[in-house]
Amino acid sequence: MRRTGSARGALLAVLALLATAPAWANDDLDFYQTVDRQEVGSDDTFRLTVVVVDAPPNAQVQLPESEDFEVLSSSRSSQRSISLSGGGPAVIQDITRYVLVMRANRAGRLKIPPSQITVRGKTYRTQPVEISVRTGRLGSSAGQPGGSRLPDPFASMPSQPPDPFADELEEDEPTIPRGDSDLFLRSSLDRDDVFVGEQVTLSLYIYSRVDLSSVDSVTMPKLEGFWTEEVESPTQLSGEQRIVDGVPYRAYLLRRRALFPVKPGTLSITPAEADITTGFLFAGHRVHRVSNGLKVKVKPLPPGAPPGMSNAHVGSWRMSMEVSQTRVELGQPVTVKVILEGVGNVKNVTPPKLTGPAALKIYDPTTTDKVTPQRNRVQGRRVVEYLVMPQRTGTFTLPALEFPFFDPRARAYDVARTDPVTITVEAGAGGVSALPSSPSQMADAANEQKNVLTAGGLRPVRYQARFEAPSEPPWKRGFFLPVVLAPLGLLLGVALIGGVRGKLATRSEADRGRQQAKAARRRLAEAEKLQGGSNVGAFYAEVEKALHGFLEARLGMPVGGLTRDVLTERMTAAGADAERRSRVLFVLEACDLGRYGGGGNPAERQKVMDAAAAAMEGWA
Amino acid sequence: MSGYYTPEEAQDVFLKANEAYAREDYAAAQAGYEKLLSHGHGGPDVLYNLGTTHLARGDLGRAVLALEQAKKQGGRAPDLEANLAVARARQVDKVVGATAEEEFLPRVAAATDGNVVAWTFLGTWVAAFALVLLWRALRPGRRTAVGIITALLFAVAVPSGLLLATHAWVEETVHEAVVLSPTLVARELPQPGARSIFEVHAGLKVRLLEETGRFVRIRLPNGLEGWAERDGVAEI
Repeated sequence: MRRTGSARGALLAVLALLATAPAWANDDLDFYQTVDRQEVGSDDTFRLTVVVVDAPPNAQVQLPESEDFEVLSSSRSSQRSISLSGGGPAVIQDITRYVLVMRANRAGRLKIPPSQITVRGKTYRTQPVEISVRTGRLGSSAGQPGGSRLPDPFASMPSQPPDPFADELEEDEPTIPRGDSDLFLRSSLDRDDVFVGEQVTLSLYIYSRVDLSSVDSVTMPKLEGFWTEEVESPTQLSGEQRIVDGVPYRAYLLRRRALFPVKPGTLSITPAEADITTGFLFAGHRVHRVSNGLKVKVKPLPPGAPPGMSNAHVGSWRMSMEVSQTRVELGQPVTVKVILEGVGNVKNVTPPKLTGPAALKIYDPTTTDKVTPQRNRVQGRRVVEYLVMPQRTGTFTLPALEFPFFDPRARAYDVARTDPVTITVEAGAGGVSALPSSPSQMADAANEQKNVLTAGGLRPVRYQARFEAPSEPPWKRGFFLPVVLAPLGLLLGVALIGGVRGKLATRSEADRGRQQAKAARRRLAEAEKLQGGSNVGAFYAEVEKALHGFLEARLGMPVGGLTRDVLTERMTAAGADAERRSRVLFVLEACDLGRYGGGGNPAERQKVMDAAAAAMEGWA
Repeated sequence: MSGYYTPEEAQDVFLKANEAYAREDYAAAQAGYEKLLSHGHGGPDVLYNLGTTHLARGDLGRAVLALEQAKKQGGRAPDLEANLAVARARQVDKVVGATAEEEFLPRVAAATDGNVVAWTFLGTWVAAFALVLLWRALRPGRRTAVGIITALLFAVAVPSGLLLATHAWVEETVHEAVVLSPTLVARELPQPGARSIFEVHAGLKVRLLEETGRFVRIRLPNGLEGWAERDGVAEI
């Protein structure tokens, strides 16, 4: 194997590398300083740029220092550029830039001292720079990069939709105060030339280049001549990056308020104050900062105001009227809401007063506001609610309302209007006779409305009534106690009747026995009449019936079909002695015999008769 | 109801009184409401309006009296409570000190509606006894359902009867009144020359304990008692 071109190639590579070495290797140093503006205001900042080209790494740069200037910030950036031209070796440059944001401490023709650089023991100096300083603020130069805002990456994008509030938002361009440039308080207005009643938004920011721990107290400026509304009051510090005169800051919003001037002229806003704690834990310390003061030029409203116009009626407004019902019964209330909504000082506008015919009693209204600031503009809705109580039937009209106002955007007066509302009042169904039947149903609808207060703070009288005479409680009425006692008496009566009936039943059974026995004796007496007659059978039949009747009365049961033995047992059970039993049996035997032809002897009949009488006698 | 006015006439008098009130002719409004009351066409609504009119006129004692009477007859209502609150706020007297605990039975009576209690008791009582009779008339196998219903009715009737007895007792024994006189002196004894204990003013609600001659013994909500002239208070 043969090695191919290794020695020559390596040599060429080393030469090429040497050819690309930095230019400072031969002490060809490029060192200068420039300013971005030749003429500035004493409140303006400018940028001093110190450029070192191809400085060795150990070079020491000393930036200019002067009592005439204040250095607000400094930064350093490095850049390496490689240029190839004409097939020659590449040229590499290391460029280091020091950018100082400075501000003059006095006016006049001032000189910025030269910067110095020391390279390997040799010192190089730039030329000093002269700058003309005037008192005050001349503004940013066109060529000043950064300005007060970070570069907008979307600035070059075409055709962005127009922002309806773009003309109303004016970004603040704060001035870095002397001495407190690391942390300062800034009050700003979104505009300083407005009409009376037009909103001005006051914002209070902390600009800081140090870490903030907390804001301990904030004293807002005195706002004499303004009606104020809170727009934003953050509870936590939340910063955003902002470039102020080329110096990066974090801006923390403390308060934002809407101010509505109430009188024309130049109104002053005193400085705000705040106590701020910086750093963390034990390293922190507390500082007191005072913001800048402000002035607002307030123009009076232009002439030609429509009648009824008030200085507070500034903004853009719409008005409407809502009625709960347009057809009501007499005595029922109607709620009428006059609604004013739009952009402006919601809490200070006064919608026109609702009026109406005498037949419609209009109570003092209640007012509710709903303020909903959007994009720092106060806007919302004011509702004035009236309670209208018809006093008689008929058709009545609430007239149209007009609300004149000044529109500062159009710089012209305008009038918001409502339509008239017709209310028909009818008699209650059935008139008086149809009034509700109970007090609970009679709840006056007017009383259920909230905040229905007369001037004296009283609820209104009731417009419907259920008339009733003073009544005694039910238990005092005549019928009550009898009705309560009646069931007890009834129950007692039933019980008594039951007892009596039981007793009566027992008693009648005994009586019936006696009655039967009596009837039996009478029948026996009848039989005695037949004793002497020719009809022997009838005699014995009558005696037998009399005895049967007597036995049934005494035994309490029919004895017609009983055998003699059973009859004897029953008589024994009923307490009849043996002699009485034998007499009964004798009489019954004799009667059986006599009915079928025997016993025709009168003595025999008498004997039977006597025996029957003896059987009945003494058996109670 | 009295037949002095027809319902239409009563309504007309009422509306005229309301109109008088609306135009702040309180004397005419008061006369209208009182005319209705005197002829038996009262009720809580008329009493409420009368009380509100008295309140508008500044007659605190009669305002509280009429409003309390309206409350007693018609129960609570938002407007009534609101105007009573206004009246109380205007009272001169602020009763301080330990408030005497109101007795149990008056509190029970105040918390329940006497009419409802009375009708509930009467209905369940009569129905329960009717079912007892029915129970007796039914054969033993068919008595279960009737027996259960009867027991339930008695379970309602007995407590409501006790509640009714409470109402009757409170009605008879507890008498509340309102001070009408602008200033009413409460004395140690029911005699004009007796030592004065305290003074009360119009609109204050008191309890009447006993009456002797032209003096009544009143008790304040905090338990303070004294003899005051009968004419200075009106029972609710």
